[in-house]
Order: sequence, then C-alpha cells, then structure tokens
Amino acid sequence: MWVIIEEVRKSFKILLAYPAEVVFWIISPLLWVIPLVFQGKALVGAFSSTAFGNLAGTDEFIPYVLIGAIISTYMFSAVWSMGNSFRDETYYGTLEHILSAPVRPVFILVGKGLYNSILSTSFVIVQLLICVLIFGLEITVIKILPIFLFLVLLIIGLYGIGFMAAALTLMIKEAHGLLHMFEYILFLFSPIRYPVEVNPITKTISVFIPLTYALIALRGLLLNIEFNFWKNSIILLGIDCAVVPLGLIVFHYVEKRTKSKGTLSEY
Amino acid sequence: MKQNKKGIKGMVLHYLRAINAENIKEWKIELTYKPDFIRQFFEPFVYLFPYFLYGFALLGGRYSEHLRSITGISDMVAYTFIGYLFIGFLNTACWAMGFSLRKEQWFGTLETIFVAPVPRWVYVAGMALHSTCHQGLIMLIQAVVITTFFAIVLQMSGIFVTLVVVLLMLLGLYGLGIIVAGLTIALKQWWVVSEALSTLIVVVTPIAYPLAVLPVVLRRASMFLPTTYGIIGVRHLLLGEELVVSLPTIFLRLTLILIVWLTFGMIVFLIMDRYGRRKGSLSIY
Repeated sequence: MWVIIEEVRKSFKILLAYPAEVVFWIISPLLWVIPLVFQGKALVGAFSSTAFGNLAGTDEFIPYVLIGAIISTYMFSAVWSMGNSFRDETYYGTLEHILSAPVRPVFILVGKGLYNSILSTSFVIVQLLICVLIFGLEITVIKILPIFLFLVLLIIGLYGIGFMAAALTLMIKEAHGLLHMFEYILFLFSPIRYPVEVNPITKTISVFIPLTYALIALRGLLLNIEFNFWKNSIILLGIDCAVVPLGLIVFHYVEKRTKSKGTLSEY
Repeated sequence: MKQNKKGIKGMVLHYLRAINAENIKEWKIELTYKPDFIRQFFEPFVYLFPYFLYGFALLGGRYSEHLRSITGISDMVAYTFIGYLFIGFLNTACWAMGFSLRKEQWFGTLETIFVAPVPRWVYVAGMALHSTCHQGLIMLIQAVVITTFFAIVLQMSGIFVTLVVVLLMLLGLYGLGIIVAGLTIALKQWWVVSEALSTLIVVVTPIAYPLAVLPVVLRRASMFLPTTYGIIGVRHLLLGEELVVSLPTIFLRLTLILIVWLTFGMIVFLIMDRYGRRKGSLSIY
C-alpha cells in the first residue's frame, strides 16, 4: 500500500514541477470542442440539427460533443499517460531503479493508474464546473451518484487497457506512435464526437469499447436522453472484470520477459 | 573579393551539407522504429474521419445547402478534406521542429550537436527539411486515397499556383517551428507549448468552416496566420471557394507574414539559445 501511495506522491511532485501541464489538460478538451461548434454552424446554420437528433436522441450537438470531450479525458489518460508512464521512467533514467526495487512492479503500475485516475477526475470535475458556470449545463444533485458510478466503472475498464498500454511500451520502447494510433482508433469508434450509428462500421466496433457504454449512460443522465441504466452498467462491469485481470497478466508477462531478455534499459 | 566569394560559397555548402546530414539522420532514426514509421501514414486518416462522420451526422448526408450559401461549395467532404490536408504542415512546424531539440535532449545528444561547428539554426533547418519531405509524402498518399475513395474532383488547372501558396504558407509556419524550438530550450516541456499553439491555430484557421462563422475577434486573429491564407487560397484554387480577400492580397499577406514570422522566430530562437547557455539550463530536464 505504501508503494502505491509513494508512487502517487512522486507522480504529483513531478507534475507540479510543470504547472503549465495542469492548466493545459483542464482547458484543452474544451478547446477541442470549439472547431466542432463552428463546423456545425457552417454546415447547418444553427446549433441544432434534426438529422443529428435522429441518431443521438438530442438535436443540440454542442452539449453532446462537450460531454464527449470531457469524458474522453479518461481515455487519453488511460492510453497515453499509462502507456507512457514507464517510457518516461526510461527517459528520466530511473526505470531500472524502480523495477529492481524490492516491491512487485505491479504495485508501481497500480500506483501510476491511481495517480492518473485522481488527476483525470480532478480535471473532469473542473471541466464540468466550467460547463455548469459558463455553458449552463445542469446537473441535479440526485444524478451525482449514478454519474459517479458510471465514471468509476469507466475508469476501471480504461485502466485495464492502460496496463496493457504500459506493457506495450516496455516491450517495443518507442510506442508513443502506436499509443497515439490506438487512442485515435478509440476516438474514431466511440461516440465521443458523433453518434456511432452514423456508420455501420463505427456502430459495430463501438460495441467492444467501454467508453461507448459510459458515454451513453452519462449523456443520458446529463442531457435527459433515454437509456437503459442496468444494461449499460452490467456491460461495463463485465468489461471491467475481463479487462483488468487481462491487463495485469499482460503486464506481468511482458515485464518478466523484458527482464529475462535484458532489454529493460534499451531505448 | 574572389576569395571572399569562395569563402561564402564554401560556408553555404558547409551549411547545406549539415542540413542534409540532419535530414538523413532523422530518416535513419525513424526507420529504426518501423511500426511507428508505418503508423504515421495511417494517422492522417484517423484524424480526418471523425470530421467527416461528424458532418454526416449533422447533415444526414454529404452535402450542405448552408455551406454552399456561404462558400459556394456544398460538398462537406471535399471542403473539410482540403482544409485538413494542408493543415498537416502545422504539425510539421509545431511538433517535428519544436520536438527536435527536446528529442536530442532525451537521447543525450543535445550538448554534442550544439558544439558542432555550425550555427544552431542549421540544425532546426535540417529538421524542417526532413519534416517537409516526410509530411509531403504522407499528404500525397492521403490526397490520392481520399480523392479516389470519395470521388472528389479537384480543379487541376490551379495546381501550380496552389503549390506556390502552400510553399509560402510552409515558410511562414517554419517561423512558428523555430519559435517553438527556441521556447523548448528555456521551457523544457515543449509539448505543452506545441499543443497549445497548434490547438489555438486549429481553432482560428478556417479548416472545416469558413471565416464567416467565426466571431469577429477570432476572425481578426486569423488574419495574422499563414494557415488562414494558405487554406482559403488553396481551397479557392482547387475547389472554387468564394474568396473574402483577393488572390493577390493572399500572396502579399502570406509574404509579409512569412518575413515577420521567420524574423521573429530567429530572434526568439537566438535569445532562448543564449539564455539557455547562460543559465546553464541546456542539460536540465
């Protein structure tokens, strides 16, 4: 437990050495929405679209993409930050030290996951507050608990994927490109910017991505769109149960393999 | 006099050789990481498709009457595609050039290359050359695939002028790349600078929408960017978009912008370089 806490503490210390990053991560998801707002205005001449409503359940595309952008913070954090967490240690020259410490590496990994979860949740809360105060998004108190439930279910599933991303980096080193690619595939096939029903391929692939169910549920709660509460939560729970042990097994296997092959210190 | 001329020629050749050496070194490093190299050719499609799908979701199809009424083009796919195709060079400036020095720092070779007998800008110019070749290749593949897949018809008669517009835009963006590279020396966390700048430029540049939909403040800000003139110029020449400023004005402003940005970029870079060495922060992470 101390290892996990110390890992979280260390990561926060490093983050606070670069305060510009904190501001950037809070603002950027909101900035990414702006081109979509202008594109929508240019294409339909208004801030609502009937065609969009037929697919998404709401005509108003701005709150739809805004929620997508905010929740995608978790996806970026899980894939990008978790994937690069061990690569960063390589760059700092500390990877060999932490992996040869008398603790199980999986605890360090969980520590990194916990740090990223806390950080992303803080960003999401600030972003939601900005939306409430500036864009007039309404969140009733009674909805906070189910929102929290879906966020937790999403975080667990995404960090399972994050563990695999961390293993990938240990194995092929310069994995930032592949992580980016993976991140953009999730981005393309999840209903972050648009309803996946717009294309049969996106609709089919989105079924396998936890973000899909979380976004359906969270948009349902925040924008009053009809959705099946139990179906979405059970599917998310099922994905979590499968992905987290799989992520840990993959990481354990890869970490052992890199140690036995002696490639840990390679760039 | 003759000897002086020979000296200048020799120096220029020396710099050009160094620029090319940097270019080749980058290709070699990239080809070492093959999966990443291949990935870079697919990435632009993954970037582009969400904009198409978002457009399809909004319109319930490919064509927009409203877009036609403000730009003269109704095809959302062609309109968005041309915008995103050329904004790829923004990544070249912000990421590849800006990232160049930080990467050397990670590799532990920054101090080594900084003591080489060439000015520092030669190094950044080498990165610019490499990134332009690489990005140009990626864009060519992207252009062929997307125009074929979506049956987009371009006005090929304007291709030469288009290339001149792109070249001017690119040189202006190099100024930005040099600024980012310079700031990297002092600020270290290069990617925050790169990402913030590129995000702001993407918002203000009329990539997937015309200038007409931007609020007045942003419209004015966009007038200082080479990407604005580059993209509206190229879209006018290749798709026939109605222009808000004339073509000669586009050329004039692009030329002015590239002079200002390149000069400003060089000044920032030299100041940051001197600052970094005086403070001894060159080797600090």
